[in-house]
Amino acid sequence: MGDSQYSFSLTTFSPSGKLVQIEHALTAVGSGQTSLGIKASNGVVIATEKKLPSILVDEASVQKIQTLTPNIGVVYSGMGPDSRVLVRKSRKQAEQYYRLYKEQIPVTQLVRETATVMQEFTQSGGVRPFGVSLLVAGYDDKGPQLYQVDPSGSYFSWKASAMGKNVSNAKAFLEKRYTEDTELDDAVHTAILTLKEGFEGQISGKNIEIGMIGSDRIFRVLSPSEVEDYLQEVE
Amino acid sequence: MSRFEESAPARGGFSFDLCKRNEMLMQKGLKPSSYLKTGTTIVGLVFQDGVILGADTRATEGPIVADKNCEKIHYMAPNIYCCGAGTAADTEAVTDMVSSQLKLHRFHTGRESRVVTALTLLKSHLFSYQGHVSAALVLGGVDVTGPHLHTIYPHGSTDTLPFATMGSGSLAAMAIFESKYREGLTRDEGVKLVAEAICSGIFNDLGSGSNVDVCVITKGNREYLRNYMLPNPRTYVSEKGYSFSKKTEVLLTKITPLRELVEVIEGGDAMEE
Repeated sequence: MGDSQYSFSLTTFSPSGKLVQIEHALTAVGSGQTSLGIKASNGVVIATEKKLPSILVDEASVQKIQTLTPNIGVVYSGMGPDSRVLVRKSRKQAEQYYRLYKEQIPVTQLVRETATVMQEFTQSGGVRPFGVSLLVAGYDDKGPQLYQVDPSGSYFSWKASAMGKNVSNAKAFLEKRYTEDTELDDAVHTAILTLKEGFEGQISGKNIEIGMIGSDRIFRVLSPSEVEDYLQEVE
Repeated sequence: MSRFEESAPARGGFSFDLCKRNEMLMQKGLKPSSYLKTGTTIVGLVFQDGVILGADTRATEGPIVADKNCEKIHYMAPNIYCCGAGTAADTEAVTDMVSSQLKLHRFHTGRESRVVTALTLLKSHLFSYQGHVSAALVLGGVDVTGPHLHTIYPHGSTDTLPFATMGSGSLAAMAIFESKYREGLTRDEGVKLVAEAICSGIFNDLGSGSNVDVCVITKGNREYLRNYMLPNPRTYVSEKGYSFSKKTEVLLTKITPLRELVEVIEGGDAMEE
C-alpha cells in the first residue's frame, strides 16, 4: 500500500500515521528469543531462553541478563549487540545520577532515561532504531518494579510480561497464572513453566537464564546449578 | 578514555585561558581567593596481611581551623581507599570521579578493581591538569595481585612504596616511620605505628590536628576506623556557664505601637469596572 513507499526512511511518517521503521524494529524483537518477567509481592524475576547457534559455543561465556545497578537488572529480546550498547549507556547514566544526587537512581528514572536514548535514535539522522525490547527489573523504595521498554522509546510498568517469539502464548499463560500476592519463589516457578510452554528441545540449567531481586535489593543472575534446582522443583 | 563526564565544558576539556588571566592579575598585586587547603598529615603502610591508611582530621583555611573533624580517607572501591592532602575540593572531586569510573569498570568487567587501575586513572587526570588540581594522594588497597601502596603528586607523578607520608605533617610522620617501620608487621603493630605517626603530625605541625582516622584493608575485608583516637578532647567546659558583664545588660524593651490604621469609609459607590 502507500505505507511501503515510506518504509525505508526512519524520520518520515507514513500516510497512516506510523513510523514504519519502528514497526520493523518491533518485528525484529518479535523474532528474538523469548524472555519474560514477573513481579511478585516481595521481588521481581526475569528469565530468558539462551539458545546458542551451535553446540560448539561456550555457553558459560554468554550472559544475556545484565546488572545495571546493584538493585536493577535487565533482560532483552531481539538483537544482542544493540542491547549491549543500551546496557552500557544505562549503567553510565545510573552512575552519573549517583554522582549528581548522591542517591541510588530510582527504577523509574533509569527506565525513563533509557527510553529517552531509544527515542533519540528514532528521531535522528543517519541512525536506526534499536532492535531490542528491554525488561527492566528493580527494587527500590517504591518496592519491586518491572518495566518493558520498546524500540520506539515507550515504556510501561507490568505485573508480568513476555516478549519475543512466543509472546502471545506466554502472555496468555501468564494471564491465567498470575496472582497479585505471589511470592518470589512461586514467581520463579511460574516463569520456568511459561518458558517451558514454547521451548523446543530439552530445558535445562544451561539453556535458560534467570535473574531475580528480592527484598534484600540485590539483583543477581542465578548460576546454572541453581537454575537446575528450580527446574527440579517444578517437575 | 580521557574525557568521561558531560557535565564538564562541552568540548576540549579544561580551558587554560583563565589561568593566564589569574597570573596576570597576581602580578598586578591581586591576592587569589582563599580556598580550603587541608594542611594535613596522611600516611600509609603495608603490613603482612594488607595495607593500613591513616589521616588527621583538621581542615584549615589559612590560620583558621575550618573543620575540626573532617574525613580525609576517601572510598574508591570496596578494596581500595585513598587519603587526600591539598585543596579539599580537589581531593574530594577527584576521588569521587575516579571512584565512579572504577564502579562502571567493575560492571563492565565483572571483576574486583585493581589498585593500579585507580592509580592510572588518578595520575592521568592530574597530569592533564598540569598540577592545577592541587591533590596529593596516598592510595592503598588489596586486590588479586596483593597489597599495594602508592603516592600521587599534584603534577601526576607516582611512587610505589612500603610506607608513605604526605601533607604538611609528612616530615613529622616520616620520622616515626623511618625509625620504627619494618617488614611483616602484624595488624595491631601496624595500626599502633600509623596512629603514632599521625599523632606526631598532629602535635608537631600546625596544619594538622584533632583526631586520628585509620583504615585497615586486607584481602576480602576492610575496617574503616573513624576517629580511632581522640587525643585532643575539649577538656574544660565551665560549669557556671558564661555570663555577660553588667555593661552589656539588655535594657527593658519598649514596644512603640505604630499609629493605628484608621479606615475611612465614605458612602461612595463600588468601584466601577
